[in-house]
Amino acid sequence: MLLSVPRPACGQTEAPDTVEIPLNIRIGAELAGHVIWLTDRNNFNTEGFISADLNEKYSIFAGGGYSDYKYSQYNYEYLSSGFFLKAGVDINFFGPAKSKGKYWAGVGLRYGISSFSSGVPVFEYENYWGSITSSIPPSDFIGHYLEASPGFRAEMFRNFTMGWSVNIRRLIHSGAGKDLRPIYIPGFGQGSENVGFGISYFLLWNIRWKTISVILKQELPEETEETQAAQVR
Amino acid sequence: MRKQKITGLAAVMIALATGFFSCTPESCFEETIAKIKAPFYLSSTQKIKAPDNLTVSGLNTDAGPVYENSKSVTRAELPLNPQAAMSSFAVIINGISDTLMLQYSSFPHLVSKECGYTFYFKLESVAHTNNNIDSVLIWNPSVTTGDEDNLRIFY
Repeated sequence: MLLSVPRPACGQTEAPDTVEIPLNIRIGAELAGHVIWLTDRNNFNTEGFISADLNEKYSIFAGGGYSDYKYSQYNYEYLSSGFFLKAGVDINFFGPAKSKGKYWAGVGLRYGISSFSSGVPVFEYENYWGSITSSIPPSDFIGHYLEASPGFRAEMFRNFTMGWSVNIRRLIHSGAGKDLRPIYIPGFGQGSENVGFGISYFLLWNIRWKTISVILKQELPEETEETQAAQVR
Repeated sequence: MRKQKITGLAAVMIALATGFFSCTPESCFEETIAKIKAPFYLSSTQKIKAPDNLTVSGLNTDAGPVYENSKSVTRAELPLNPQAAMSSFAVIINGISDTLMLQYSSFPHLVSKECGYTFYFKLESVAHTNNNIDSVLIWNPSVTTGDEDNLRIFY
């Protein structure tokens, strides 16, 4: 039996090692927004997404969500609500030997578009001529942004993955003029800043659609004096 | 072990996120009132010169003077009324009184999340009497919380 196992003959190269990598379609939900809402009822955010592995390194991503944001302080109240869509690519920095199709450490690069309504039900203004209570009626805007999301995720149970990411966003266009820039843009965050940050914690359901064999990179043996001498002989 | 680490890290991240989104109002440290910035020029030399004595009061208001017998004011800062399309001021330079009438449009502007909203103005025209004021030039019609001059008053 042992003799029947094919062995590389002298001078032949050894067959490369391979690893089986499952390619998945993932359906996920973002949870941090719901946790934040439990502590701050003025800030509701719900988000879901779908991604599909193209190979062991790249996945395509599409997501969307809804935000309802309220803010008030001593001199004004602000409301913003609307939908957002995101699309892009996820890049896995783990090699196939480490990731095995279960672990992911990388970055997501996305373009986001947000369609939302923003208004100021009341604001107070006071100067030399007296004090005024005024308002700005709600208007509809479409904002655009880019997002980079470095993070980690791991398959915790069969077909279920958990993970988190830090989201760094760059606003391209708020959709409004410079005077009435929205304070909050759904999907992006604080619209009064050009750069936004966020944290996502998500649960994913994996559906395997294909398994591929990936050749592992062979490490070349270090050349020693003995091997060099053997080659000379 | 790896799973425990990831779960632990996620818990820390959620705690941090909750902190990020706390709803405590922050302090406002920015200028929130847009005013007309109007430096005084001596018409004979065309150079900036503060009047020896300056009093400025808004007309048709119970509010007191904006400046009262002030010295060394090289640039007056005049607040506008966002509820009207015109604000008028009595400008008394070295004891001689003039009336300055400013016509403008106003619109709301977000200063910042911390400070809230203010009014900005677009100056449309200026009229004045000629007792001591020689001429008034609109230098920049956009009246904001910025530092740029809007008018130049020659006397």
